[in-house]
Amino acid sequence: MKIPLPARLLAVPTLLLASAALAQTPAFPAYSGPPVTLTFWSWVPGIDKTVAAFEKVYPKIHIKWSNVGSGSAEYTKLLTALKAGTGAPDVAQVEYDFLPDFINYGGLVNLTKYGMSKYKSLFVPWTWGQVSPQGSAVYAIPQDTGPFALNYRADIFKKYGLAVPKTWAQFAADAAKLKRESGGKIYFSDFFSTYAPWVMGLAWADGGRFWTHSGHTWTQSLNNAAAKRVMSFWGKLVKAGEVATLPDFTSELNSALAKGQVALLVQAAWGPGSLASTLGSVSAGDWRAAPLPQWTAGGHFASGNWGGSSDVVTIQSKHKQAAAIFALWINAAPTAVALNWQNGGLFPADRAGLSLPALHDPHQNPSKFFGGQNIAQIYAQASRGVPVNFVWAPWFLYANNSFNRYAAAAVSGKMGWAASLDAWQNDVLSYAKGQGYQVKGN
Amino acid sequence: MRRRLTPYLFLLPFFIPFLVFYVASILYAVYLSLFVQHGLRPPIYVGIQNYLRVLSDANFGSSLLTILKFGVIQIPLMLLIALLLALYLDGLKSAGWRAFLSGSYFLPYAMPSVIGGLLWGYLYSKGISPFDQVLSGLGLKLNFLGSRGLLWSLGNIITWTWTGYNMVILYAALRSVPAEVYEAARIDGATSGQVVRYIKLPMVAPALLLAALFSVIGTLQIFAEPFVLQSLTYVPTDLTPNLYIYVTAFNYGNFNYAAALAVSLSVITFIFSLAMLWLQSWQRRRW
Amino acid sequence: MRRFPSALASLVALLVAVYFLIPLIWLVMSTAKSTGQLFSDFGLWFSWPLHWNLSWAGMVAFEHGVVGRWFLNAVLYSGVVALLSTLISAMAGYAFSHFQFPLKGLLNLLVLGSVLIPFTALVLPIFLILHALGLLNTYLAVILPSLVSPLGVYLMALFWEQSFPMDLRDAAYMDGAGEWTVFARIGLPLVRNGLVTVALFSFVGTWNNFFLPLVVLSKGSLYPITLGLAVWNSTVQAGSSVNYPAILMGALVSVLPLILAFFWLQRYWQAGLTVGAIK
Repeated sequence: MKIPLPARLLAVPTLLLASAALAQTPAFPAYSGPPVTLTFWSWVPGIDKTVAAFEKVYPKIHIKWSNVGSGSAEYTKLLTALKAGTGAPDVAQVEYDFLPDFINYGGLVNLTKYGMSKYKSLFVPWTWGQVSPQGSAVYAIPQDTGPFALNYRADIFKKYGLAVPKTWAQFAADAAKLKRESGGKIYFSDFFSTYAPWVMGLAWADGGRFWTHSGHTWTQSLNNAAAKRVMSFWGKLVKAGEVATLPDFTSELNSALAKGQVALLVQAAWGPGSLASTLGSVSAGDWRAAPLPQWTAGGHFASGNWGGSSDVVTIQSKHKQAAAIFALWINAAPTAVALNWQNGGLFPADRAGLSLPALHDPHQNPSKFFGGQNIAQIYAQASRGVPVNFVWAPWFLYANNSFNRYAAAAVSGKMGWAASLDAWQNDVLSYAKGQGYQVKGN
Repeated sequence: MRRRLTPYLFLLPFFIPFLVFYVASILYAVYLSLFVQHGLRPPIYVGIQNYLRVLSDANFGSSLLTILKFGVIQIPLMLLIALLLALYLDGLKSAGWRAFLSGSYFLPYAMPSVIGGLLWGYLYSKGISPFDQVLSGLGLKLNFLGSRGLLWSLGNIITWTWTGYNMVILYAALRSVPAEVYEAARIDGATSGQVVRYIKLPMVAPALLLAALFSVIGTLQIFAEPFVLQSLTYVPTDLTPNLYIYVTAFNYGNFNYAAALAVSLSVITFIFSLAMLWLQSWQRRRW
Repeated sequence: MRRFPSALASLVALLVAVYFLIPLIWLVMSTAKSTGQLFSDFGLWFSWPLHWNLSWAGMVAFEHGVVGRWFLNAVLYSGVVALLSTLISAMAGYAFSHFQFPLKGLLNLLVLGSVLIPFTALVLPIFLILHALGLLNTYLAVILPSLVSPLGVYLMALFWEQSFPMDLRDAAYMDGAGEWTVFARIGLPLVRNGLVTVALFSFVGTWNNFFLPLVVLSKGSLYPITLGLAVWNSTVQAGSSVNYPAILMGALVSVLPLILAFFWLQRYWQAGLTVGAIK
């Protein structure tokens, strides 16, 4: 007998809770050294509260947290400080996609020396693959993940009689219907043309692979079939004026969201938290989450991942043991995982964390902002749907920037949507070769 | 003996940092540009290979081309406005009115370029911008920060910042015209149009060229404004040469190649400057 | 004599003035708004009640008052640079204007030629050399490179020529005054205008310099206010804590000292630009 979908979803957290109760609560390493002060770079909103909780447990380790900018703004600072030989923090937040760049640069500490490899089992398997790309050395502790789901305005959906799409075909049909019914005043969704990892994450869900390597020989395929399918799909919607191209993380998008001009976002798991903190009281309670649409109905459920971060210890740290303990605790201790979710909307990479009651508390943000819906449940399902093996190249910093140029060309109509990926592939390939990597296109 | 050493002692406090930060730093950059380094591993000597890469670097080429197109439109326009404003102020009688106007025109120069960029960035942003509020009220949709509008918007920021500065230079040149010259022209029955054409314009021509020279140098160096706009919209990393050099060094960690780019840009800037100076001396001989 | 400008010209001149003032006017009005009003109300008018106290409080509260520290850093950088750079420019300008010595032509050419190399083109080389010297992430990393001002030397040489006649200097020598006394006690007071002008431009130049601190500093506690605000703005845009009026208040605080300085010292900046332009 086929169990209806909602019932299946409800069954999941109960199972998770049960398995979590059985699992041994991890014993975190004790710190016996002298009192130290660590510097910590992170752009997670409200991470200071997690830091404070850590300091209570480890009174001898004092943390100085600062937000030096998010994403590439922080990487620039980190790279500069590594080059300078001074100024790098003890611990820094780095997204999975950019880890290989920093590992390759020689700026990160191999944490196996500090006993971190034994905590592998605490984390969602694919995240450990990201922080330990060769399988032996461990260069970071997984912090959060960004599996995809839909975030949509239930009020707008109701007003215009839209059904929550289960397939991309339905998604396109909804987009066309909303444009018709609203007279073009409301965009169905938004294409994040300045975030390569967003597009890549959607292709990831569809089995797309951008890099593979054996030893030092790389194969790059930025224009793989899955990626082309994603670009062509969104290109059609953008050209039809059904989907906007407002860049993510700008006041332009925030203002459009606040005015109810965008009905739906394809958002990573950390998205709802930042949505709640950005929009505050505006449109609170109107939002809902739903699983990512599939290319074919009824098959194996798949989702992709966008972003998600880890915490690294830099080679400039003078207190590497303390730094490693800190990185582990703030991402795996139940108190920390709960605080990270409530204040920063971080969806844990910690396995046991996925079933923490705090994550499923409808009265706390981000769920509160989503009308009390248990959105963690939607994202937990998404997390399990993320294909495990996915590799980033150590020239991703370049590839990421380069994408923007070709995506902009596609958006402005100067280049075909699928063709822009070919141009991207060629550009990045010649850069990687120029940097001396053994790499061939595919 | 003491007398002979004196000038050198007076020069010393200036020349020590000058030698370190101007001369030595450029030489050091040239030295580094001859190497390739992967991450923090030891550098490898590659000779002029980085410079060969500069020559075929599409990003660097497009940044120069963009800034060239930008300068060809923005610099003449800005200098024309500055000249008209200077001529207008020069013809004014009311000192109070003139002080108010020249103060207002010059004000943007006193604002840090990054703050100017930030404020205009907000003034361009949908939802906040009063201009957008008015335009969308009229049913017009203009995206100041879109891929088509970005360069024009940047041009506006640069024009806003530097017009007053150039106006002050030109105004000072106009003021240096002795009153007797005007008196003589009036007696000869010259119209005010003729005074502008035959007396004022030739008098400000050297200052105008100087202003053009500094504008060209400044345009080649544009950095802070597009840098802060990055947080508000998508700005291509090869929009200006300096932005590209910055990204190459600090975003990709490719300091050796960035050094080659920086040296190349200095050479290009220097050639432009020499050409402008040559133009100035040629023009002096003509007038 | 010269014709009165028509009313139309006055109107155009006024509109142009408004154009130059608009960002500042908008800034003053926006700091009095709440974030909600910033998005909902018309930008170029006040929204009542005025919330300057709230945006001020938001600015002060940001990371335990770090904006105040950034402001003091900027004062420190600009103040020290203005003082020292003016002194060394005055000394070098004095050497060029009042002495004949071998290599003078060459050194003079070196200084004049470097006016043509913009400071920003040197930022990356300066970063690399500061790295080699181990000075990155220190106050000195911003101060030392900013001390060098070829234009300041050039301006000071002109001021010395204009204001300190050779006869006067020779008379001082006759009276038995030493070189330093002639320079510091007799000469410097005479080039007071030049000193103020060069100091003003060097203060403003350092206050407004963004590229240098951006690359040589990665410690937030060392930022000058312009860099701090740019970083703060980029984190605000990332949507973590949207308090636009607070950051705008920071922007207002960062521009006010310079605007006041320019109005207070108006005749000096006019003099500075004039001397440079006419010669």
